[in-house]
Amino acid sequence: MPTPAPSPHSHKPENPDFKTELLGLVPFLRAFARSLTGNQEAADDLAQETLVKAWQSRASFIPGTNLKAWLFTILRNQFYSDRRRAWRQAPWDQDAAERIPGGGEDQVHSAELSDTVRALKHLSDEQREALILVGAGGFSYEDAAAICKCAVGTVKSRVARARKTLIEILDGGDTLGDASRPAGGDAAREIMAQLDQLSPGRAEALGKKRPK
Amino acid sequence: MTQQWDTTVSSDEKPTEKARAIRARQRAIGRELRRMYDDVAQEPVPDDFMDLLRQIDEASEKGGKVS
Repeated sequence: MPTPAPSPHSHKPENPDFKTELLGLVPFLRAFARSLTGNQEAADDLAQETLVKAWQSRASFIPGTNLKAWLFTILRNQFYSDRRRAWRQAPWDQDAAERIPGGGEDQVHSAELSDTVRALKHLSDEQREALILVGAGGFSYEDAAAICKCAVGTVKSRVARARKTLIEILDGGDTLGDASRPAGGDAAREIMAQLDQLSPGRAEALGKKRPK
Repeated sequence: MTQQWDTTVSSDEKPTEKARAIRARQRAIGRELRRMYDDVAQEPVPDDFMDLLRQIDEASEKGGKVS
């Protein structure tokens, strides 16, 4: 081994930059958490858990790589593991977020939440996170794929389907009923996602024929 | 960054009226999502977070463990 990696357990002096950078990224952790949970309280809990996890795992962060993407990966893992552990997490709930009092001005602002943001709750978790990472967070498809632990093509198809679904909802009112679909819908979505990967054109055509 | 929103309309296709309309819709959706995300990102960080980071600070001085 010509260049042995430093042991993660070696006692390096604490890097103050790491903490500073962590602090600087808190606003983005909160924003991503909010878009995953749709709920301010749950989002901030999640973002705080992420900070603690990140600190505990700081030795595994490779300096010079994308700290934001690393943190988002931790946050996302935490989100899904919290969900698996207990069903205490409500489904994505922008309405709950709107009910949280956040000062007069916030209140007015959230009352103006766009139909687009409301429609997010009809997306699957996978589609929503992909769309947020790429569309709002400014991540490349590659970084989003790393965060979501899936292929770049999968992210692309999820983003495309998310946008398509949003447009359908915004155009046709709330007729898709994605949110109320039974869990079996996941399998169907998975198949569609695979179709997307195999043949984007064909899946796109199938998608267009999907009955409303 | 914004051009990521144009990628679902295949580039070899002649931009039809419909394709242009779809792109415009997608850009509008992109703006809304960024607005939601940026609104949260621009909120002042709640005190809880600062407290947590202080705890991390203190813990790291004592040996790097956060309870």
